Amino acid sequence: MTRFVLSRLISAIPTLFLVSLAVFTLIRLIPGDPVSLMLGDNVDDAAYTAMSHELGLDRPIAVQFLMWLQGAFQGDLGRSITTGEAVLPLVLQRFAITAQLVLVAVGLATVLAVPFGMLAAWRQNSAFDLGVVVGATALMSIPTFWMGLMLLLLFGLNLGWLPVLGYVSPFEDFGAGALYLVMPVAALVLHECGILVRMSRASTLDVLRLDYVTHARAKGLTESQVLRHHVFRNAFGPTWTLLGLILGNLLGGVAVVETVFTIPGLGRLIVESIYGRDYPVLQGCLLFVAVTYVVVNLIVDLCYPLFDPRVKTT
Amino acid sequence: MRLGHRIGASALGIMAALAAGGAAAQTLNVQLSSDIRSSRPGVNRDALSDMVALNVAEGLFAIGERGDIVPMLAESWTVSDDGTVYTFALREGRVFHNGAPVTADLVKQSWEAMLAAPDFNCAGFFDGSRGAAITSIEAPEADTVVITLEEPDAMFLKYAAQSQCGGMAVTHPDSFSADGDWDHPVGTGPFTFADWRRGQSVVLEKFADYQPLTGEPDGFAGHKEALVDVVNLVVTPDRATAVAALRSGDLDVVPYLSTSEAAELMDDPDFEVKSSPHGGMITLLMQTADPVLSSTEMRMAVAKALDIPQLVDVATDGLGTANASLVPKGSIYHSALHDRSIDYAPDEVPALLEAAGYNGEELVIQTNRRNPINENVAVLAQAMLQMAGINARIEVLEWATQLDRFRSGSFQMSAFNYSDRADPVLAYSAVVDSKEDRGSAIWDDPRAIELVAKTLQTPDGDARQALFDELHELYLEQMPFVMLANNLTVSVNADYVQDYSTWNGFARLWGVSVEK
Repeated sequence: MTRFVLSRLISAIPTLFLVSLAVFTLIRLIPGDPVSLMLGDNVDDAAYTAMSHELGLDRPIAVQFLMWLQGAFQGDLGRSITTGEAVLPLVLQRFAITAQLVLVAVGLATVLAVPFGMLAAWRQNSAFDLGVVVGATALMSIPTFWMGLMLLLLFGLNLGWLPVLGYVSPFEDFGAGALYLVMPVAALVLHECGILVRMSRASTLDVLRLDYVTHARAKGLTESQVLRHHVFRNAFGPTWTLLGLILGNLLGGVAVVETVFTIPGLGRLIVESIYGRDYPVLQGCLLFVAVTYVVVNLIVDLCYPLFDPRVKTT
Repeated sequence: MRLGHRIGASALGIMAALAAGGAAAQTLNVQLSSDIRSSRPGVNRDALSDMVALNVAEGLFAIGERGDIVPMLAESWTVSDDGTVYTFALREGRVFHNGAPVTADLVKQSWEAMLAAPDFNCAGFFDGSRGAAITSIEAPEADTVVITLEEPDAMFLKYAAQSQCGGMAVTHPDSFSADGDWDHPVGTGPFTFADWRRGQSVVLEKFADYQPLTGEPDGFAGHKEALVDVVNLVVTPDRATAVAALRSGDLDVVPYLSTSEAAELMDDPDFEVKSSPHGGMITLLMQTADPVLSSTEMRMAVAKALDIPQLVDVATDGLGTANASLVPKGSIYHSALHDRSIDYAPDEVPALLEAAGYNGEELVIQTNRRNPINENVAVLAQAMLQMAGINARIEVLEWATQLDRFRSGSFQMSAFNYSDRADPVLAYSAVVDSKEDRGSAIWDDPRAIELVAKTLQTPDGDARQALFDELHELYLEQMPFVMLANNLTVSVNADYVQDYSTWNGFARLWGVSVEK
C-alpha cells in the first residue's frame, strides 16, 4: 500500500511540473499584462517600465519561471500583484470556502442520486424509471448559473426565505453560515445529481444482468437483500470513480456558482486573477488545483478495493 | 426586512445600534463590483479603492463641484510670488478617527510617508519626473504646513487632489501596525474604516466626532455629514445578482450599472436611476500613423459620417449627452466655443474620401464587451461608416487585450473610454504627445503639444481659458480622434434611500439617509 501511494505521488511530480510550465507560459502568451491593467489609460512608458521592473516582469520568462519554481519548492508561491497578499495562504483560505460548499454538495448529491439510480435500474422501463431518467437528463442539461439565478429569484427575491448575497463562515456562525450555503449547495446538488443518477442507473443495470444476481435471487434472497448486499457494492465502483472526477473538478473551483452567490471561493479567485492578469495568484491556484486533483483521485483509487476486492492497490 | 437581510447585518452594525442607546442602526448596503485592492489611499489602488478612501480620509484640499480646488483640512493657503512655496493654514478642531488632533507635524509625516511608499501611484507628480519636485515639507507652527517645490507648477494642487493620488489624504501614524506595515486608514473623513473581509465586504462606520463644514456638499469637500451609522459595501461581482439583491432589499445602492441595465429599472417606482456625467471621455480613437487614417481628409470623412448626438443617445440608452470638447460640460472652462463640433454631413463624405485617396480599404474598430458603451459605439459607428461608404469592421477584444493594444498604439480605430481627469488639461495630456515618446499618444501635433505644455503651467484664469479654446479649435481642424461625450456613472438606489449621488464617478456616502 505504502509503495503504491509513494509511486503515485512520485509519478505526479512530472505532471505537476508540466502543469506549472504550461500555466506559466500560456498566461504570458495572452495579450495584456498586469502593468497595463494597473496603469489603465494613465499609462506612460516610463511608469510602465518602472512598474514592470518593480514586479520583476521585465526579466526573461525562463528566469521568472525558475525563480517561481524555486519559491514553490520552498512553499512560497509569491505575492499577488494586485493586492500584495501572500499567494499560498490566500489560496488555502479560498479553497477552504470552496471545499465546504463542494463537499456538502457532492455528499448530498451522492446520498440522493445513488439510491434513485439503483431503484430506477431495478424498476427499468417503469414509469418511475422514465421519470428518473427524464429528471436526471433535465438536471444535467440545465447550466448551474441558470439554476442558481432561478433559485435566487425564487427563494431569495420572491419568497424572501434565503439571503440573496453575502457569505458567513459556518465556523463563525453555523446557523447563518448554513443558511447562506443553502442555495449554492442546492444548485450544485441538482446538477451533480443528474450525472450521478445516470451513472448509478447504468452500472446497476449492468450488474443486475449478471449471473450471480440471478443466483442470489434463486437462493431465495429478498430483492432488498439482493440490491443491498450483492448489487450495490459492485455497481457503486464506476460511480465512485466518477465521484473522484467530480470532486477533483469542483474542488478546483465552482466559479460560476461562486460568482452568482457572491461566495469568495477558489473559482472566483481564479477568474479574478485571469482578468487581472495576476500571474502569481493564477499560477498558485492552478498548481493547487492540480495537486488537489491528484490527491483526490489517489484517495478514490485507494478506496476502490472496498467496493471491488478484485482491484489491488499493490 | 427579509431574513437574509437580517442575518446579513454585521456585528458592527449591531454594536453601533447598542452604542446609540438601543435605537436601530441605519445601515446602507452598497454594491462593490469587485474587492478593493488596498485600504491605503493612493497606494495600490483602483477606482473602487479610491471610492472607499474618499469617504474615509481627507486631504488638505479637495476637488470641488466644478473641478476647482477647495479647502478641506486646510482652511486656506498662500502661494509665494515665485510659485514655489505653498503655505497651508490648518483648520481648527479637526481630529483623526482615533481622537488625535490634526497637527502640522502629523500632516508632514503623512505626506512624507505617502511620497516614500514604493507603490504610491502618483510619485511621478511630486519627484520631478511628471510634475515639479517637492524639495521640502515643513511644519513651522502647529497649524502651518509649508511645502516647497523645486520650480513652480500650476498643476501642483490639482495633481495632489486627484483621486488616483488618494487626494494626498492625511492619515494618522496609527494607520500603520507596530512593524511599520500599513494596517488600515485612520483618517479624518465622515466614516471610519471599521472592517475589511477580503473578497466579501468593507464596513465603514459613522465617525461620531466628525465636524462637518457649513454650507453645501462641494465635490469631495464642503458639507460632509454621515447620516447612516454603518455602510456595508458588499462585494457582488455578478450584476444580475446585484439587481436581484437590490430588489430583495439586500442591497440599497448599486453605484455602477450599465446604461442598458439601468434603463430596465428606470420606470420602476421602487428605484431611482441617476446618471451623472464626469470628466472621463467616451471616444472613437483613430490611429493617425495608420496609412489610411493619416490623412486629415479621411479622419474628417469619418467624423462627418457619424451622427454623434444620435450615436451617443443610443449607445448610452438615452442617458448621455454628446460633447465634442475634451473640456467637460460642467467645467468652468467649457465656454460656448467648446460647444462647436463637426456636424453630421454624409453628403460631404464622398468628396472627402476622394481627396483622401480612399479605395475601400478596411478599417477595423477595436472594442470590448466589458463596457457596453464601447461595444454600442463600435456597432453604431460601423453601421454609420458603412452607410457613408467606409468599409468598417468590428474586432471584439477582451479588455486587457484592448488596453494592451491601446498602450502600444496597435489599432486603426478603437472604441475607448478614458477615465476621469481632475482637470481638463489632464484630459488633453492623455491624448496629446509625441507617438515616439508614448505609444498610447493619439494626437501627435507640435502645436497641440506646445499648447498643452503651456496650459499645464498656466494658473486658473483667462489665459488658461484662451489656451483651452485654441486647443479645441485645433482639434476641430485636425480631428485626430472623435470625442463623443463625457463618460457617465449610472447608479440606482432603492426609493427609501435619500440624497444618494455618484459624483465624478465616485459614490459619495455622506449626506445619504435610509428611510424605510
